Amino acid sequence: MILDGLLPVLITMALALLVIGAVRRINLWRAGQPESVSLIAGLMAMPRRYLVDLHHVVGRDKYMSNTHVATGGGFVLSLALIVLVHLFGLDSKILAWALLAATALMFVGALFVYKRRQNPPARLSKGPWMRLPKSLLVFAVTFFIVTLPVAGVLPEDFGGWVLAVILLIGIAYGLGEMLFGMTWGGPMKHAFAGALHLAFHRRPERFGGGRSTGLKPVDLGAEVLGVAKPSDFKWNQLLGFDACVQCGRCEAVCPAFAAGQPLNPKKLIQDMVVGLAGGSDAKYAGSPYPGREVGQAKGGPTQVITEGLVNPETLWSCTTCRACVEECPMMIEHVDAIVDMRRFLTMEKGNTPNKGAETLDNLIATDNPNGFDPGGRMNWAADQNLKVMADVKETDVLFWVSDGAFDMRSQRILRAFVKLLKAADVDFAVLGDEERDSGDVARRLGDDATFQSLAKRNIAVLNRYKFNRIVTTDPHAFHCLKNEYKDFGGDYEVLHHTTFINELVKAGMLKLDMYKGGTVTYHDPCYLGRYNGEYDSPRELLNELGIELAEMERSGFRSRCCGGGGGAPITDIPGERRIADMRMEDVKATGAELVAVGCQQCTAMLEGVVEPRPEVKDIAEIVAESLVEEVH
Amino acid sequence: MSQFDALFQPLNINKLTIRNRIVSTAHAEVYATDGGMTTDRYVKYYEEKAKGGCGLCICGGSSVVSIDSPQSWWSSVNLSTDRIIPHFQNLADAVHKHGGKIMIQITHMGRRSRWDGENWPNLMSPSGIREPVHRATCKTIEEEEIWRVIGDFAKAAVRAKEGGLDGVELSAVHQHMIDQFWSPRVNKRTDQWGGSFENRMRFGMEVLKAVREAVGPDFVVGMRITGDEFHPDGLNHDDMKQIAAYYDATGMVDYFGVVGSGCDTHNTLANVIPNMSYPPEPFLHLAAGIKEVVSVPVIHAQNIKDPNQAQRILEAGYVDFVGMTRAHIADPHLIAKIKMNQVDQIRQCVGANYCIDRQYMGLDVLCIQNAATSREYMGLPHIIEKTEGPIRNVVVVGGGPGGMEAARVAAERGHKVTLVEKADELGGQISIAAKAPQRDQMAGITRWLAMELDRLGVDLRLGSEANADMIRDLKPDVCILATGGRPFVDQNPEWGAEEGLVVSSWDILNGTVEPGKNVLIYDTICEFSGMSAADYLASKGSLVELVTDDIKPGVGIGGTTFPTYYRSLYEKEVIMTSDLLLEKVYREGDKLVAVLENEYTGQQEERVVDQIVVENGIRPNEALYYELKAESRNKGQIDNETLFAAEPQPVLSESGDGMILWRLGDCVSQRNTHAAIYDALRLCKDL
Repeated sequence: MILDGLLPVLITMALALLVIGAVRRINLWRAGQPESVSLIAGLMAMPRRYLVDLHHVVGRDKYMSNTHVATGGGFVLSLALIVLVHLFGLDSKILAWALLAATALMFVGALFVYKRRQNPPARLSKGPWMRLPKSLLVFAVTFFIVTLPVAGVLPEDFGGWVLAVILLIGIAYGLGEMLFGMTWGGPMKHAFAGALHLAFHRRPERFGGGRSTGLKPVDLGAEVLGVAKPSDFKWNQLLGFDACVQCGRCEAVCPAFAAGQPLNPKKLIQDMVVGLAGGSDAKYAGSPYPGREVGQAKGGPTQVITEGLVNPETLWSCTTCRACVEECPMMIEHVDAIVDMRRFLTMEKGNTPNKGAETLDNLIATDNPNGFDPGGRMNWAADQNLKVMADVKETDVLFWVSDGAFDMRSQRILRAFVKLLKAADVDFAVLGDEERDSGDVARRLGDDATFQSLAKRNIAVLNRYKFNRIVTTDPHAFHCLKNEYKDFGGDYEVLHHTTFINELVKAGMLKLDMYKGGTVTYHDPCYLGRYNGEYDSPRELLNELGIELAEMERSGFRSRCCGGGGGAPITDIPGERRIADMRMEDVKATGAELVAVGCQQCTAMLEGVVEPRPEVKDIAEIVAESLVEEVH
Repeated sequence: MSQFDALFQPLNINKLTIRNRIVSTAHAEVYATDGGMTTDRYVKYYEEKAKGGCGLCICGGSSVVSIDSPQSWWSSVNLSTDRIIPHFQNLADAVHKHGGKIMIQITHMGRRSRWDGENWPNLMSPSGIREPVHRATCKTIEEEEIWRVIGDFAKAAVRAKEGGLDGVELSAVHQHMIDQFWSPRVNKRTDQWGGSFENRMRFGMEVLKAVREAVGPDFVVGMRITGDEFHPDGLNHDDMKQIAAYYDATGMVDYFGVVGSGCDTHNTLANVIPNMSYPPEPFLHLAAGIKEVVSVPVIHAQNIKDPNQAQRILEAGYVDFVGMTRAHIADPHLIAKIKMNQVDQIRQCVGANYCIDRQYMGLDVLCIQNAATSREYMGLPHIIEKTEGPIRNVVVVGGGPGGMEAARVAAERGHKVTLVEKADELGGQISIAAKAPQRDQMAGITRWLAMELDRLGVDLRLGSEANADMIRDLKPDVCILATGGRPFVDQNPEWGAEEGLVVSSWDILNGTVEPGKNVLIYDTICEFSGMSAADYLASKGSLVELVTDDIKPGVGIGGTTFPTYYRSLYEKEVIMTSDLLLEKVYREGDKLVAVLENEYTGQQEERVVDQIVVENGIRPNEALYYELKAESRNKGQIDNETLFAAEPQPVLSESGDGMILWRLGDCVSQRNTHAAIYDALRLCKDL
């Protein structure tokens, strides 16, 4: 066939361009800060990470996962065989048939991609992505046809020059999209960057069923604190941004986006790509940041991000709920990036908006975010006769009270929990006035210096005493103590109170009546669920009370944030709706009279929704109400 | 900082940590039974306060330490016997269980009691001077008796300690034995117990020493003192500062409670428990003055009813603890509601002083508006639980306090409630009562109920006069009539009500008639309504004579309330005349002539006036009841046996056709606000 001579040339050219593009792209990533990774081990682990971990996420949408297996698998297989068959000219019928099969598989997959692109959901980006199914089809079809003679199905000289030209154009187009485009910024970039991102992911603990949600500490001795410019990100964070497929799953779950606040995680990642590569967002073809126009953002690797590329309000809209991270099939770490950029705004610029600066000042001056007299931390328990660590030195359970101590609503949760601890005869004690804010809010607001100061002082106190476990009713403190204190020498077994109460109930330490009220639903706190994977204990516990939960559509790992995390109520970026109101709508949709929660922040946010609305109670309160008290 | 953070700072008294700054100060409850024991009712009453979050309860106002200080006539607590100890243990456990603390006030009342009962003792006082409020004559106490009473104090304190209470408060206020010795007004002794400052202080000091010696250094011993007796010959504020500092210097007193005013005349007694005519915290300055000179915490009560007020007082540092005693009688869940962010749901004391006025008559303390208070032991609830039975359609007719309480309780139970009221606004007779001078706070009773009805989503049909057809159309499962009554001005046809010769006190207070220039009020009731009408008219410039056939105008009003009426009426030169019956009214020209007849002599006299107001109580509005009675399932009957036992009405668990019909309040017979509210609560709590 006429193409016989041209085909290897074309393939070679495409591969050469791929390599050149790859080198250029890698250099863009290398503009980022060093972060040591294990090259060989990472690459070796990559296939498994792709096939197991990533597909675990993609597989939540069966249609897309099957489509992707067919298309992507078909393509990778095709490419390998194309190199063997058409570049090296290995004359093997078996290989040729294999290639036919691979391209057929890819074709079938591409058909489904095509079908979905006929009427794509709003979250999907359009633009070049609309062309991709056609490119995939053309690639599969043309290589199928040119392989038929090799397989001996058609004669070597079938077709005329017209067909040859058509095929040639098809092959050139297909190779262009699939290979050239892969490293030169086309939609196929995701395959290249995505694969490498899996290999060199900044949180390799996430693979193999692990969890890594604690923020990375800032080196407070660094020249610039936080991320000012794209090049201030770690190189593999930049790589991660480049892996984005613009599927918009993050956008679909982002509470701030849904509330009409100026944040769209997908757009943010695309803006990061603009930043790392230089240019503008003019070609971005997805949903904008609500209320903001597309096309105005400009940036480059060494330009300050918040001066023209991303408005600070976008960064301050995030509740750090991790819904985007949880949904991202490319394992991109949006929250890390947002907090990194907040760190610059807070620690270098002092530009934490609204009540942010005041909150941080309070934390610095009083060790609690609302500036209460630190000597009043135990006021809530003046009548509880709690043991204090400074007196007893040693206990089984250290009850970490958290700043709910200062809040009258949260005090009810604390007292309910204490009631349960006493009823179960648990040997427990509190730190009393020696406890400080966990540092959660400071850290999420970008003030890692204050976080570290609080963490170190808390650790110093904790390390003075002997205890087996820490239990807390505050998922934010739970997360910090469990996951973020390790970097500073604090390694503890930390339990959320629902986990602990569940243990007590299972061990028969608490005698409970059946729950008597109406329908109940459960709201998963982000810092308990997505951050720490505790979805079951609260549900088991409610079950023990005879409650059959009316689950919300968005529950478990897909729970929607109450709007209270990440300092969002403090920075208070306006939107069209309040996140808490939307969440209460989710609750109402179940017909529940009561929403059970496990976080005082969630309680505060949900109770802030105007009545009439379902009641809001912490699980500790619900269990305490069902407690059968001994009559003296 | 939160709105009420000053309330929730714990503070120690001696070694005792009080969880917040709100105290229920000592008051006489009149609940002790079985010879002055703190039995079930007493325990439950204080347990409810502790459950509601009160920091410290000081119980047993004027609890006696000696057998010759009588307690039975007003069911006070008796610490003169070891029998009290196990009862105290019950009390202490009940309060401690909820994190509260409890102490008791102990005293020997000296001359300030009654001798005509129980052991028929001779009352004793430093110089044998009679006490007018109790008409109490007494002997001069002898040296031996003094030392015996000092010993009684110590023994009583030990009993409190052994009973597990957290402390004792020595009463040196209200003219009890200790301050009878202090005050040169009644201490005329020339021996070592009178005369010089030290001598007058001696009895109290010996009591303090003996008590401290007996209970040890860690048990709380406080002292309640006056800030100023308000008698020219009594102890003034400077004297009291000197006394407080003198006792404080011993280091044996753990706190001072300060009360403004002396207490041994009718007029000063009214100051001690300021009713609604007083401004907020009228005597705070006296407590603040004492705080200046002592080194231990100071507690002050007296007209502090509102958490914002308490916060303001504490934040400014006038005193260390705020007494909210009547506030807790009206709503023992006051603190819990602050903490639950339900400040609007607090049933706030209005200062009607129904509680204390009953106590001064030797009757059990009750709240005019909260019928559950002190009836916790009977199962009357402060927090109404939702029913687990059928949801009923409840129609209440009448928006006075009884009807509103019935609607509130039924709605709290989860029923569908409609309230029909003829007038354009809720309140009933309370709204009329609140129109008199100094009585405006009465409206707080129904204002709270109205807010609750709104919160509970009760269907209000105002400006709508109910009739039988309307009720039938509403298809109630339960219909509660609380239609009140109308002024009974036509009891005697000779009064000429039909011809319009007389008007009612409602007409006056509602402003439906203009005040006359020269007015005669004929008041057979002798409670608030006649006095209020007189006060109202006088304040509008009328010349008023208030005539009654009873023994004294206002005689039915309690001891802390008639004095404030008298202050106002005498100042406005209202003439008060007793023992005259109104025989007849006739017109003469543009004047009216009232023919009055002395009940005891039959002698008649006439008054020529412009306006005659008759206050002869209420005639029930019962027409609607009799229209509906026959078709009702229960023929309108309430089962008294279960009602009085606060148990569910049997008809609720019986099946049958037609509505259940009940009536309550003045539409049955004239009683009072508390009676209407009590019936509403006990009928509807099990609905």
